[in-house]
Amino acid sequence: MKNLIQLLLSLALVPPLLMACMPEAQAQALRVGYYGETITHYGLKVAYELPLHSYIKEKNQARKTFLFAPGLAVYRHPHNHIGLVVSPELTYRRTSRRGRIFELGLAPSYFHYFLEGTTYTPDGPDDFKQVRWAGGNAFMPTAFVGIGKDLSVRKNIPLAWYTRLNVMQQRPYNTSTLMRFSLEAGVTIPLQKQ
Amino acid sequence: MKGVYTYLSLVSLLLLLACSDRDPQPIEDSTLYLRNKGADMPIWVKGDRQSNKIILYVHGGPGDCAMCYRYYLKGLETEAMVAYWDQRVAGASSGKVEESTLRYAQFSEDMGFVVKLLKKQYPNAEIYLLAHSFGVELSWQYLTSGNNQQEVAGLMVVNGMYSFANWLMSVHDWALREAQRQKNTEAEKYLRDHPVTLENAATIEWEPIYRWMYKLGGNPVSLYDDGKYVINYAFNSPNTALAQFTHSKAYSYYGNVESRQFEKGPLLRDIRIPVALFWGVKDGIVPVAVGEATKQVLTNAPVTEVRFSESWHEPFITETAKFTQAVLDFVR
Repeated sequence: MKNLIQLLLSLALVPPLLMACMPEAQAQALRVGYYGETITHYGLKVAYELPLHSYIKEKNQARKTFLFAPGLAVYRHPHNHIGLVVSPELTYRRTSRRGRIFELGLAPSYFHYFLEGTTYTPDGPDDFKQVRWAGGNAFMPTAFVGIGKDLSVRKNIPLAWYTRLNVMQQRPYNTSTLMRFSLEAGVTIPLQKQ
Repeated sequence: MKGVYTYLSLVSLLLLLACSDRDPQPIEDSTLYLRNKGADMPIWVKGDRQSNKIILYVHGGPGDCAMCYRYYLKGLETEAMVAYWDQRVAGASSGKVEESTLRYAQFSEDMGFVVKLLKKQYPNAEIYLLAHSFGVELSWQYLTSGNNQQEVAGLMVVNGMYSFANWLMSVHDWALREAQRQKNTEAEKYLRDHPVTLENAATIEWEPIYRWMYKLGGNPVSLYDDGKYVINYAFNSPNTALAQFTHSKAYSYYGNVESRQFEKGPLLRDIRIPVALFWGVKDGIVPVAVGEATKQVLTNAPVTEVRFSESWHEPFITETAKFTQAVLDFVR
């Protein structure tokens, strides 16, 4: 686990260094949205978008952007667990000249969960002790695909909406791994004028 | 006129609320976890706390889930508490679990801790085991070890076995009988060519016999045919979606080695707690003949029997009301 945290921290350092070398990059943005496995496993996700490289294709005037977005999602699976997902995302985003967004990317995420229930462990053959903050952690590589619309392109509103499907694999889970899915839907707000 | 509309709206709202699916009162609604040897196993306790009775549902599989059957077992909560326990690796259990812990002895140890934990939490409550299929094997493993019988007030057996050899012979007999009845000559030939005896039960290739049993209608019931159940499972159950389908390979030692040596027949003579045998009569997975044999070896236990004539392997799904009544009659 220590190695995993070191790897994630190292990955987190790369994009800001790259950014320093790319003065033409787009504005940074804050992304806030609903995050959950279903409507009954609800949560919230916040991410900070750092554009690494951006260019406009002359042929169709579509903007293509490569982003790094460290994010944090918190959700609740009632009577099961509360989950935290730290996701350093690398995203490719295409914004058409009409403002339509298509994006896909990868994130080597870290997953931590707290069991929602009082946890006991045997303390001798006949007694138990309570385990505080019981839960676990796992590596959770994630791939995602999303769509949205940048409202600043045609309506001059400094906002974009987006929705995204995440496909994740929790490693380890019990004796093997577990495929998880989650949905995101929210808005992206630029933090400075473009 | 505005007042009438307001009144009608309020009445409609009240009617809607009255129609909603309510938990029985006074309710117990606790989520406990048992952490043991790498596994975090949830135990959801729901129902009437004042009853001082806990029905511990010991699910089947191995690798099935407990809470996913609450949809069918909820009726029990009106007169008792039901403890829905997910065994290690199964259902919503989590953790980092070694495959080598998926053994009868470890499951039995877990079960012992679950019973003790429930006794700590509910010191005045009597605990009854409601065991289904693999859960029956697990319960016999538990009850025939040490003084564990003293920990529980009774056992309800639902379509589960006590002996692999007896089980496989019964499945073979069931399949052969059905093959003859359905005039399935291919099945009949295979089954006649591959008889099961006490001597070869531990070594014979059992999967083809099992597959014929299924093809001949051994259990046509699928939970996923019930749309309401599926919606409830997806949106209203604490289970982890897809988790149940991740670990079937982990049970290979159970399937290939340990279960084949499972034989509790001689030890069942020492069982002295009340036992109920609930059986779906049409079941081919664990035929009713296994229930009859179980009764014969329980020579020192008070045994009651309830047959479910319209059911296969899960009578609580196909004859829910009758099943609920049978369980409540047993624990009263």
